[in-house]
Amino acid sequence: MEVSVNNKPPIQPKNNEDKVQSPWVEALQSFMKNKIALVGTGIVVFFILLAIFAPFIAPQGINEQNMANRLQAPSAEHWFGTDDFGRDIFSRVIFGARISLWVGFLAVMGSAVVGSLLGIIAGYYGRWIDTIISRIFDIMLAFPSILLAIAIVAVLGPSLQNALIAIAVINIPNFGRLIRSKVLSVKQEEYIVAAKAVGMKNNRILFRHVLPNSMAPIIVQGTLAIGTAIIEAAALGFLGLGAEAPNPEWGKMLSDARVLLIQAPWTMIFPGIAIMLTVLGFNLMGDGLRDALDPRMKN
Amino acid sequence: MKKKKSFWLLIVLMVSTLIFAGCNSSTSGDNGDEGGEADEGSTGGTLVFGRGGDSTSLDPAITTEGEAFKVTKNIFETLVEFGEQDTELHPGLATEWETSEDGLTQTLKLREGVKFHDGTDFNAEAVVFNFERWMAGNKEQFYYYNSQFGDKVDSVTAVDDYTVEVKLNTAIAPFYKNLAMSPFGIASPTAIEEHGDKFLENPVGTGPFKFQEWKRNDRITIVKNEEYWDEDLPKLDSVIFRSIPENSARLNALASGEVDLIDGVNFSDVQQIEDNPDLQTFERPTMNVAYVGLTNTRGPLQEKLVRQALNHAVNKEEIIDAFYAGAADPAVNPMPPVISGYNDEIEDYPYDPEKAKELLKEAGYEDGFEMELWAMPVPRPYMPDGQKIAEALQADFAEIGVKAKIVSYEWGTYLEKANNGEADSFLLGWTGDNGDADNFLYVLLDEDAIGSNNYTYYKNSEVHDLLLEAQATTDQAKRDELYKQAQVIIKEDAPWIPLVHSRPILAGKSNIKNFLPHPTGSDLLSHVEVSQ
Repeated sequence: MEVSVNNKPPIQPKNNEDKVQSPWVEALQSFMKNKIALVGTGIVVFFILLAIFAPFIAPQGINEQNMANRLQAPSAEHWFGTDDFGRDIFSRVIFGARISLWVGFLAVMGSAVVGSLLGIIAGYYGRWIDTIISRIFDIMLAFPSILLAIAIVAVLGPSLQNALIAIAVINIPNFGRLIRSKVLSVKQEEYIVAAKAVGMKNNRILFRHVLPNSMAPIIVQGTLAIGTAIIEAAALGFLGLGAEAPNPEWGKMLSDARVLLIQAPWTMIFPGIAIMLTVLGFNLMGDGLRDALDPRMKN
Repeated sequence: MKKKKSFWLLIVLMVSTLIFAGCNSSTSGDNGDEGGEADEGSTGGTLVFGRGGDSTSLDPAITTEGEAFKVTKNIFETLVEFGEQDTELHPGLATEWETSEDGLTQTLKLREGVKFHDGTDFNAEAVVFNFERWMAGNKEQFYYYNSQFGDKVDSVTAVDDYTVEVKLNTAIAPFYKNLAMSPFGIASPTAIEEHGDKFLENPVGTGPFKFQEWKRNDRITIVKNEEYWDEDLPKLDSVIFRSIPENSARLNALASGEVDLIDGVNFSDVQQIEDNPDLQTFERPTMNVAYVGLTNTRGPLQEKLVRQALNHAVNKEEIIDAFYAGAADPAVNPMPPVISGYNDEIEDYPYDPEKAKELLKEAGYEDGFEMELWAMPVPRPYMPDGQKIAEALQADFAEIGVKAKIVSYEWGTYLEKANNGEADSFLLGWTGDNGDADNFLYVLLDEDAIGSNNYTYYKNSEVHDLLLEAQATTDQAKRDELYKQAQVIIKEDAPWIPLVHSRPILAGKSNIKNFLPHPTGSDLLSHVEVSQ
């Protein structure tokens, strides 16, 4: 057992009333000054709220088929028009936010956790463990990511859950490599050397000191990756390898609307805009976070 | 120096480009001129037919593939011919035919003065030669001959130059309907002997068009047979069959004038074509059926009441409006109404979710159940969009408490797995070969067909006896009666939910005249005209 001395990592002082502000507060301040990043955050928050309150916002059920009302252009009653089953596209797009955000968050969470773990191990222990893990990452990165995702889904069978797993898997090396390089540099810092010198165990050094000091790039990469994950989920849905009917997954809605492009363009436009906006939101937010948390990346 | 060199290179390049461009425009100019001259007489010209796939063979006897017959139908003729838009029998290469009392001897009088494209005479010897060729092969080689005639033909002899006698050991009720099928086009014996295995690339028949050229996966060109026995035909100088696999790409090719006529039009594109004054649509008369198979050996679907309940749950009219652009009729029986023996007294299970729930309750599934619903991954004329139709059915089933999970596989796997009885419920369909009831009921629902085309594993010995009896009965009225009885039992047992009989859509330029799509899918183009 270890005695609880000072649990906090050295760069996170307890109170920020000191003249020397915590880097996190500094980052927040710089983020708040970045208007574009705030717009991105606004979009993301907007979609998150949509997803949470979908049942209250959506005027109709997502699977209420009404063939008499099929392929109606946008109107006061159906803001985004109806699809070829007479379902309200507005309601479906709103519920689609749930699916896309859920897939985006969970997939990125999964790849961030697994990727970071592997990255820390590779970076900290080095030697043959590093070689093995890094080569596996290299192999995975050599595949076009969507192709790898398709292969994984093909093996597991098409479903939303498996699409999520596939997206998580293909993003692991991105996180892993990032963390590994960060760990390599953090490892050389004096406080780590000091921790080693006082006999701290590897686990504790890793999770108490190395990991917290490597968090910034994970957060940046994570935010950006959610945007990519949403696009990847939509691509799998479009290929019929993601969400199952009748789920209103945006990519699947696009694919269903493909044959109606000329006849009823609204069936394609609105899910498309929804994908574009969410991804844009996450990208802007991610860029802002990177500028704030990783000043060296700034131009 | 170097600069000068590259300058000259550039000049050479430019000049050669100009020359090649000149070649191109002059050839296309020639084509245009040809067309122009021919058009003055209001006949002639070239028709470019865009279709989904290339032929696999130009010898109709050795293939089962619909795309192949589309071409061979115009190169070869059969002894008896189907009507212009139905499957009634008309004289073809035989002008008269007769069946003996016992149904075992068939006598055909042949048309005189007909020549094959290679100049040899068409006569009784040629017919006997063709039969002997088919009889000598096995099922892999001559699938249709073996499935339609097989061992039932004893001998084929030439009585005189223009009379042929076929002796059977078992009566084949649809003998002449079978003979009218494209695979039984009569080929030139000389050409078969000359080309051997290569006959499939060098087809020689008696038809209105002669084969000219086949560029694999691109185009097949056939040209007017000047020696055709009907002097007024064909109207066209040549026909080019082009393969354009993607439906929308094919439609674009039509809109841009690259092709004159296309098949496989998406139902969702019909409106767009009708709004275009330069184009017109054609409906192929229906000879198909699309259905939901309810595998009779799986879970709750073993219960007749459950299958009947599912029949009550489906709103066919809505599906037709939504996905067939109205170009389909709700199906009641497993065969289309145009076919002799169709029982029009049978009433469909009406769309009635309440009744369906009652039936489920009676069967002990008050709370519904879960099942898989397989959606076809490929479009077919009878099933334009399997995924969407499955989704509509899913909503219909949900209304009576049946939770359907939509599943799909690659087409080959889909058929194989469904054939193994691995699907609970599945979408499928059938296009008739010869317009005979046997080709639907026996092929799709008889217990003998389990493992081939009876995917639902439906088994009813009464139906089996009726279908076998009908096969051996030559009196058409009596046969019809047997088929009608079989349909009553099948309706009650409800192995399927018959969905629709669709009328597949073709589209062409508005200057195409006299094009009559045939229900079998193989269109005779000899009457077609292209006006200016």
